[in-house]
Order: sequence, then C-alpha cells, then structure tokens
Amino acid sequence: MQQTRLSFYNEIAKNKRSSFLLIGIVLAILLALVYTIGFVMGGDYFFFILIFGTIIAIAYVVGGYYKSADLAIASVNAKPATDQEYRQYNNLVEGLCLASGLPKPKLYVMHNTQINAFASGRDPQHAVVCVTDGAIEKLSKQELEGVLAHELSHIANYDIRFMTLTAVLVGMIAIISQIFLRSLFWSSMTGRGNSRDKNNAILMIIGIALAILAPIVVALVQLAISRKREYVADSSAVKFMRTPTGLIGALKKIQYNTPMKVSGAVSPLFLAKPTKEKEWFQTHPPLAKRIARLERM
Amino acid sequence: MVATLIWVIITAVVVLALIFFIYYNRFVRLSHQIDNSLAQISVQLKKRSDLIPNLLSAVKGYMKHERAAIKEVTDARKALVSANGIEKQMKAGNKLQSALKSIFAIAEGYPDLKANTNFLQLQQELSAIEDKVAYARQYYNDGIMSYNVMTNVIPGMWFAKMYGFNKREYLKIAEAEKAVPKIEF
Repeated sequence: MQQTRLSFYNEIAKNKRSSFLLIGIVLAILLALVYTIGFVMGGDYFFFILIFGTIIAIAYVVGGYYKSADLAIASVNAKPATDQEYRQYNNLVEGLCLASGLPKPKLYVMHNTQINAFASGRDPQHAVVCVTDGAIEKLSKQELEGVLAHELSHIANYDIRFMTLTAVLVGMIAIISQIFLRSLFWSSMTGRGNSRDKNNAILMIIGIALAILAPIVVALVQLAISRKREYVADSSAVKFMRTPTGLIGALKKIQYNTPMKVSGAVSPLFLAKPTKEKEWFQTHPPLAKRIARLERM
Repeated sequence: MVATLIWVIITAVVVLALIFFIYYNRFVRLSHQIDNSLAQISVQLKKRSDLIPNLLSAVKGYMKHERAAIKEVTDARKALVSANGIEKQMKAGNKLQSALKSIFAIAEGYPDLKANTNFLQLQQELSAIEDKVAYARQYYNDGIMSYNVMTNVIPGMWFAKMYGFNKREYLKIAEAEKAVPKIEF
C-alpha cells in the first residue's frame, strides 16, 4: 500500500475532478448514442425521440429532486430530533455547521438498532440529516460527530444535486435506447424498415449494440460517481473536524452492522450499505477501503 | 470587416467586465464570510457568559469552601461581558474557559454535585460551546486562508490591489495561553 499521507485538500480536489470526468464519460456516451441512432433512423424522426426522451427523464427526476428530502424522511418513518430530547446530536450538528459555514439542517431520528445515517435535500437551505437511534446509542460523541460531519459534507458538496443531474443523464440514455429498440422492432414487424444498403445494416447493428450497452455502461459509471462522492464526503468530514479518528471509529463499528431493511430507493443515501454484491455494483465503496484511506490522512 | 471588428471589441469588453465583476464579488463574498464567522465567535462567547450565572447558582450550594475558584469565574465572566473587540473577547473567553476547567476539576471531589442533573446539563452545554468556539475559529481561519491565497495569486493579486482588499490576519491564540501550564504540587 502507498504510504504517503493524504492531504484532505488534495483528496477533495482529486475526487471532484474524477466525478466530473465520469459525468463527461456519460455525456460522451449520450452523444455517441444520439449520433449513431440519428444515422440509422434519419434526422427528423430521431429528433422527436430525443426531445420526448429528454422530457420524460427530466419530469421523472425533477419531481424527485424537489421532494427528495420529504420522501426520504417519510419512507423511513423518521421523527424530528428535538433540541431537548437530542441535545448532544443538535449540539454536534451546530458545531459542525459553524465549522463548515452551512445553515443548520433539519434533524431527524429513525428507529433502527443499526448504526446508520443519511442526508438529503436539494441544497443546504432545504437539507435534512437523519440518524438511527442505534447510532446515537452505540457511537461515542466523537464517532457520532464523524458520522454527522460525513453527512454534512454531502450537503456542502451538493451531492444530492449532483447525483440528480447524473440520474437525469442516465435516465435519458435509458429512455432513448428503449424507444430506439422498440421502434426498430415495430418497424421491422410492419415491414416499413426497408434497408437501404449494406452500410446501413452495419450502422444498424452498431446502433442496436450501443442502445443495449449504453444504459448498462452509464449505470455502472453512475455507481462509480456515487462511490467517488462518498470518498469526497469522507475527506470533507476530515476537513471539518481536522481529525479522521471519529469517522474511522464509527466505520469500524458499522462493519458489524447486519443488513437493514429500507426501501431500495433510499438505500444509496445512507452512510454505509451492508455489502454483498461486487464493488462495481455498489453505491458505496467498501468500508475497509474507506477506513484505510482515512487512516492515511 | 468593420462589423466583425466591432463585434470582437464588444465581446472582449463584455468578457473583461465580467472578469472584473466576478473577482470583485469573490472578494466581497469572502470578506462577508469572514466577518460573519467572527460574529459567530462572539455569539458563542456570549452564550457561554450567559450560562455562567446558572452554573454558579447550581454549584454554590455544594462548593461553599471554594470561594477563590468561584470568584475567578465571576471575574472572568465580567471581563468577557465588558470586553470589546474580538481579540479581547477571545482572550477573556479563554480565561473564562480555564476558570471553568478548575471549577469542573473541583466538582470531581463532590459526588452529590456530580450527580446533579442540572449541573451535568450545564457542564455538557459549556463543553459543547467550547467545541463551537473552536469550530467557529477554525472556519474564520479557513476563510482568512482562502482570502489571503486569493490576494496572493495572479490574477487575484492585481484585482486585490485595484479594489483595495488587503491581506487579513489570522486569529491568534493569546500568547499566555500557548505557554505550557505550570503544574504545581
């Protein structure tokens, strides 16, 4: 393993750059897809598909974007963490807000014996943070602060907005591919798609291959972006607290979590996801890797 | 030909004006952030001094023979309340903090007091305020760092000179506090 110390400033910058690189890849795939399909289908018809796909994707995501915080809170059945009942939780968040210059988010507690937490909201003014009561009971003050610093970092880095943007692009690609494949199928059934020449047949095959592969590839890229953002949030948490100790302790305790039952839609939001699948198919990097990285800071 | 030239000139002027605006706004935004974080420090210090009377009344019943320690806290609080200017406030705040530390150390010897929920709450609250002061100070110094970096790099340096934004000072911990405390037995 590389033994050089990681500076959190460099880490944040590096991870941000790779997130943008990944977004660039998604855009490039979108353009390639659009271009190839445009060739196969002929301009006018395709233009219509593109607009249609874009509208559906944006409408789908905008709703989620504005309601993200409420939806997440409602779906896990969380209750507000009052200043009297959860004094330490409130105090820690207030301190971290002073360290990060963020407004204080709305705080919630959800009933679960596992240690976990999530943040949501489209911008810092509409942000919520929710922790499980397991986290409040099992974590020390410093560990809880580390967890909260990680969640506040998601808010400070506009991760919800960033991931929403990614979701729009990925959704657009999926919808465009679907429409393309279906229209091909439909036109071959009705016999309207008479092939013009051999070149066109090759393009058609490329188009179909792209339409099938593109959604899979960009979904993987989307997951890679999500994992990058987790690393950024870990680094930013260290920036706020000036020590990785608390977060490392919390992540070590989380390693002993057994899987939680939450709906699939909100699970990527959480601090840590119980892992069974391969890293490539995960929204979060493995805990061991995150801990190793934090220990080098 | 002349028309193109005019367009080129117009675009250049607009871009240049934009750059000037953007830099000006950056300096102003950072200055506001720095001023605001200073205000946050005073807010926390004020909260700390507001809690002192409650703490003292909770403690008085138990610590009848610790007049010196209590007096130290009362004096430090007075100094904090009357201090003006952030440097003086910080200094007084630090003094109060160390006076409180000795109160809490003495409290260790009073089991009844340690079991008093009111006292425990105040203790927790005061330690939370201590953390908040440290965080606010950290944010202030972060702001100063970004600001000073911007006034030192090119082209920020030129704009800083032009707009008259000067380098600003970090909040220093008072000299006395940095010295290692003497331990006497």
